[in-house]
Amino acid sequence: MLKVADLDVAYKDVQVLWDITFEVNEGEFVALLGANGAGKTTTLNAISGMLNVKKGKIEFLGQDITKMPGYKIAELGIIHVPEGRRLFPEMTVRENLEMGSLFPEAKAKRKETMKKIFEQFPILEEKKNKEAGTLSGGQQQMLALGRGLMALPKLLILDEPSLGLAPVLVTQIFNNIKEINNEGVTVLQVEQNVVQTLKMCHRAYVLENGRIYSQGTGEELLNDEHIKEAYLGI
Amino acid sequence: MEDMWIKFGQTVICGILLGGMYSLIAIGMTLIMGVMKIVNLAHGALVMVGMYVTYVCATYYGIDPYIGMFIAMPVLFLLGCLIQKYMINRLVEVDSILPENQVLLTVGIMLVLTEVIRLIFNSDYRSVTTSYSSEAIYIGAMSISVPLVIGFIIAMAFTFLLHMFLTNTDLGKSIRATAQDRDAAVYMGVNSSKITMITFGLGAALAAAGGSLLLPMFYLFPDVGHLFTAKSFIITILGGLGSTWGAAIGGLIIGLAESLGATYISMGYKDVVGLVIFLLVLLFLPGGIRSLVKR
Ligand SMILES: Nc1ncnc2c1ncn2[C@@H]1O[C@H](COP(=O)(O)OP(=O)(O)OP(=O)(O)O)[C@@H](O)[C@H]1O
Ligand SMILES: [Mg+2]
Repeated sequence: MLKVADLDVAYKDVQVLWDITFEVNEGEFVALLGANGAGKTTTLNAISGMLNVKKGKIEFLGQDITKMPGYKIAELGIIHVPEGRRLFPEMTVRENLEMGSLFPEAKAKRKETMKKIFEQFPILEEKKNKEAGTLSGGQQQMLALGRGLMALPKLLILDEPSLGLAPVLVTQIFNNIKEINNEGVTVLQVEQNVVQTLKMCHRAYVLENGRIYSQGTGEELLNDEHIKEAYLGI
Repeated sequence: MEDMWIKFGQTVICGILLGGMYSLIAIGMTLIMGVMKIVNLAHGALVMVGMYVTYVCATYYGIDPYIGMFIAMPVLFLLGCLIQKYMINRLVEVDSILPENQVLLTVGIMLVLTEVIRLIFNSDYRSVTTSYSSEAIYIGAMSISVPLVIGFIIAMAFTFLLHMFLTNTDLGKSIRATAQDRDAAVYMGVNSSKITMITFGLGAALAAAGGSLLLPMFYLFPDVGHLFTAKSFIITILGGLGSTWGAAIGGLIIGLAESLGATYISMGYKDVVGLVIFLLVLLFLPGGIRSLVKR
């Protein structure tokens, strides 16, 4: 579904990604792991058209999207739930959700999708007329997820959805994501919460210093000596 | 004694009515500021060009200013879109130019617009007189001039329509979303360049609307724009940068202050009152009216 090949990305003259190659198949739950500053967010932003790519190719459903502007990539069905949630703080919960469904197909099903999201996250329905900026961290993350789902994404890109959440909430959000994936949405998720992520994803790639260091199924990586040492502290 | 109260009441009402039209212009500046994060120092010049369009319609084609404004608005919308897309946007694409320098560019645009108009119409003072220009409505013993009343009503209607547009349409919401978090809007599929262009056009159209409504009351000359840039800027600060409601209320306050200043201090010092309020707000309420509502 998504194919990234030999991707190099630089901020001005400072290169931060080298030869990034990976793919995500339809229906999969793929994780992208790595330490702070490894280049995870940069990789995701390159996919969703927010950065200029120096070299390499990104393909989605057979179409070259390497140089496509971000809003068009969203229209193709790649929806990015960014790091730090990035809600529209002075818009209500409902308006934030509506902003997720701008394209004709999603717009036609706006009411229906919103109803589903309210079933999955009842707290959002309760707070639907509150400004997003007034929600708690967990609620904001649910809203960010919900806003992404409103677009009826084909590929959902999640950048550290567990960031800043209490452990109970992390588990809840992860369960929500698993559920979303089980319903057929392909997921590409960046995480620092390595163990939990490896346990629930199908496959994962590990980024180190801007390069893909290793890859495998969740189980394989959980048993990998280097991963154990570097990320699990074993 | 009674005369004093009549004079006061009349001053207050006229001030608020005038302020409604200032609001409309300032809301335009506020929208542009929200989305582009710059102070549009060409805003008054856009008001001025809008006024000239309405002036030409009235003087050469006999079109009533309140109808002429519906010609001036789309013309200025288009002009605003073109300026944004082909001039301001050009700077955004050059990495080495700081975004703040877009402000300097708006000064350049202001100069060009002013001088082009001077070339066409020279520096003469012009005015539009209509059959109702000097008519007044009486509330008790207070007399309120008709163009003020009509102008205020139309300005409020536009403010209301704009509010409906911003809160009830996807395009309007996309404008607000882009102002609040541009990247997040793009992630959701908003074409932010297009939204920026439309916002600048919309701001220019509102400037034209406000200017046209003021035309029956103001002398028109190429440099009149500076006055409106200053006023809108003060109102925008007073309202709390980027807040449309703040700007709407700020406009009424500045109109009121000017009116009181003109009546009780001196006609020549009426603009100074606005500046004093501006300084007081900067000193004591840097977040503007918006920050009062928020807390
Ligand atoms: N806008 C930017 N300009 C310049 N350098 C940047 C920019 N964004 C990120 N970088 C640098 O690129 C490298 C990769 O950053 P990136 O944000 O992709 O890492 P990350 O893996 O997402 O880290 P984190 O876990 O902290 O989110 C870092 O060295 C960072 O300092
Ligand atoms: Mg990151």
